[in-house]
Amino acid sequence: MRLYKKEGNIVQILSFPNENAEKGDYLLIEDAEAQKALIVQVIDIQFANIPGVLEELLRSLPDGGEIIQGEDVDPLEIAPHITYIQDSRLLICKIRATVEGGESLSPSSSWLPSRSQSTIKRLPIPTLLKLARVDGKLPIVLGTTKEASLLTVDASALDGRLNIITGKKETGKSHLSKLLITALLHYGATVVVLDLNGEYAGLGMTADGKRNAYYNKVHVLTPSQNFKVALKQLHLNELMNILIHALHLPGTSAREFRRIWQSLRERNALTLNELGEAIRNWHCNQNVRDALFSRYYAMVNSGFFTDNMAEATLLEECLSKAKDEGGAIIINLRDTSTIDRQIVVEYLLGKLVELLSSWRLRAVFLFAEEAHLYLRETYWDDIVTRMRHYGIFTTFITNQPDTIRENIYRQADNIFLFNFTNEHDLETVSRAARVDAETVKSIAMDLPPHHCLVLGKIVKDFPIVVKVRALDIKTMGETRLFFKNTS
Amino acid sequence: MIEQYTIAATPKYNFPQQTMDLTLPQRFIELSLHSLKHVQNQTFQLNQQTIQQNTTNANNTSQEPLYAIINNTSLKPIPLTPRTEETTIAAVDTSSIKLGETSTGIITAIRGTCIWKKGRNYAYLRIGPFIFHITEENLKDVYRALQAAYFPEQGESQASPNIMQAPVRMANLLEKWLQQTLARTVSNGLILFDGSLTAGTPDTPTSQLKEILNNARAGGNTVLAFSKMTTLRFNGYLITDTLITQKPPCIIAVSNIKPKQPTVLLGEVYVAKLTRGNCTFRLDIDKEQPPEKRIEAVERLIGNDLVTQSYPETLRLAHILCTFTANEVIAMQHFIQQRYRLKIIERPDMHRLLFGPFGKGESHSEAL
Repeated sequence: MRLYKKEGNIVQILSFPNENAEKGDYLLIEDAEAQKALIVQVIDIQFANIPGVLEELLRSLPDGGEIIQGEDVDPLEIAPHITYIQDSRLLICKIRATVEGGESLSPSSSWLPSRSQSTIKRLPIPTLLKLARVDGKLPIVLGTTKEASLLTVDASALDGRLNIITGKKETGKSHLSKLLITALLHYGATVVVLDLNGEYAGLGMTADGKRNAYYNKVHVLTPSQNFKVALKQLHLNELMNILIHALHLPGTSAREFRRIWQSLRERNALTLNELGEAIRNWHCNQNVRDALFSRYYAMVNSGFFTDNMAEATLLEECLSKAKDEGGAIIINLRDTSTIDRQIVVEYLLGKLVELLSSWRLRAVFLFAEEAHLYLRETYWDDIVTRMRHYGIFTTFITNQPDTIRENIYRQADNIFLFNFTNEHDLETVSRAARVDAETVKSIAMDLPPHHCLVLGKIVKDFPIVVKVRALDIKTMGETRLFFKNTS
Repeated sequence: MIEQYTIAATPKYNFPQQTMDLTLPQRFIELSLHSLKHVQNQTFQLNQQTIQQNTTNANNTSQEPLYAIINNTSLKPIPLTPRTEETTIAAVDTSSIKLGETSTGIITAIRGTCIWKKGRNYAYLRIGPFIFHITEENLKDVYRALQAAYFPEQGESQASPNIMQAPVRMANLLEKWLQQTLARTVSNGLILFDGSLTAGTPDTPTSQLKEILNNARAGGNTVLAFSKMTTLRFNGYLITDTLITQKPPCIIAVSNIKPKQPTVLLGEVYVAKLTRGNCTFRLDIDKEQPPEKRIEAVERLIGNDLVTQSYPETLRLAHILCTFTANEVIAMQHFIQQRYRLKIIERPDMHRLLFGPFGKGESHSEAL
């Protein structure tokens, strides 16, 4: 390999057919005299622009529909050399860092290695990880790199961070999030999963249906079944959030509801039944009453609210248990309607903020799948800014990256990017601040299923492609098929 | 005595009629390897301005000047009617290229191509490249050894070329050998040469060309030589301009050409306009053939071969396939550098150094 060109932070390297380099590989350009080395990553591979190649290709074109038959007597065996030159490639590489003194890394790319004297060699991922100090006391084995070495990251790189797992359908997003969740559980973290398709319920089971090490740490809460809330438990603000944001209660009606609520609380009569009665008998405009009634019946019909305190304490119990031993609370939103889903999520987030702000919980890792389906727009900023300070560290999982707002990409600390073929999707993801658009567009487009481009702080900003390792966990999110039994 | 190398030679070429046992030009390989053997571990300056030379281009310069005395009456064009009876058409071309310089000489590559068409199909045989390291010391030996190997009957009559002419002259030897081979192999066909049928020049002895033509004739073949460039003039005008207004396909016989001694014309010279357009060529046809057979040969050519811009496709393919592409030049330089451990050095390009942007050569001069 020979250094050919440098433009900005792009380096072009001439590579010959016997030097295997693929997209995503790291190379080390060492300048012995300068005692420095550039760490670059291959982001694209092109044919080298060799003079005469077009002429050679034209020569081999069919003549009037027939390829010219012939024999080459090549006594000195030059043909392999011609092929060698013809097949030489240009590696388009992105500068990632400079190594000085053999061990210290700096993100600088302000120096230029010697074109004639530099040596270029592959930089094995384990060496890179060692140089970048991608290690720690809480290792998570994400999978294997292309060199078949393990990619081990530190769980603390997820702590206090905003993460995005994205990629097109069936590329392995949920699988990776399950891997991260189990790793966090292993280290005693509290995890809350907004499970849209009911596919995390099997986290505590092995693939063959046996209990695994996490069985006692996984709590599946299904709204209106084992996850209910009593009005007495609710703070007025929490309920107002539900009414205004999930049930779209207008301001005038909200003011009346506030007064009704205070009246009931003074009478210690915060039950569903009493609330219905109070709305019925409240002196107010008929339209306001109708508005309040329609929200009241929505609450009642959701089945999420109860007057039975015994039913309503499970969430806090689970969170309390998870706080002590680590645990995952799976909020199964599978058969929940859109409005009910929003009610549940509003309540849950309000509850978490309450518990965290009163230090009854230390921190929560929130995994939100297709969050745009249940989180209101204004929550996005809240989630990534305010709630982070409370201790809610969110991981968004989506196959529609454009549903996540740009400001979230800008603040994302870690991105786990699976394959996307749609350029629009890649364009969206490439707005993330921690990665350059060329890398995202070039590498992610060629990722095979279950391979993920890991970007961000978790890999110290050295994008690495990893094949996510298999998990012995019961799969719950299988697609229902009509032709399943048809051979 | 030149050291013998064990080379697995291709036993026979796949010529249309394998009546002869045609072994690989073994001598070329031996001399190539032998000359390169003595170049190991030297410094090597790549050629700064790659100039490819087809042997015939060089021939033309040695053949000219010729002049023609043509009566106006003899300028009557001979119309041609394509004859479609199946005829084998074969063509030969060779080229040489200088790859670079060592401290003692030059490294050059030579390649030759035969193309033939039978029915609708074209086929080719490409021999080479042969790479030679030519020095003042080995020049005479190499050239004479090749000459003796391929045309032993001529002895060592020809003077050795100088070092700069050597690549063209060696390629010319290969071309003559390929022509000889085709002349002996093809029967009842047309053999196309690139250039003219002028002999008596340093690289084309009269006896050599006569023998090739005799062999071709003996096999029932007619030799036609197409010149892309000529300086033959009539009344001050290039002879190739005389047919511009005529309706193709036609030829005009150019008689009374007086070549300067010692050059002789072994072909009857015509100007040929075989298709529409402005392209006309000087066409030499074996003089020993009767006039009607010469015309018939051209008619068989246009009836069997694809002719575009008045030039036969067989000859065009021969030319294309024998020339070296830039990629091949790089590959050959890579080969000798790797095999013989030559250290490439970069001497300053004196043209660039002295003339800067004005020193790029003719092709760039119009921009200035």
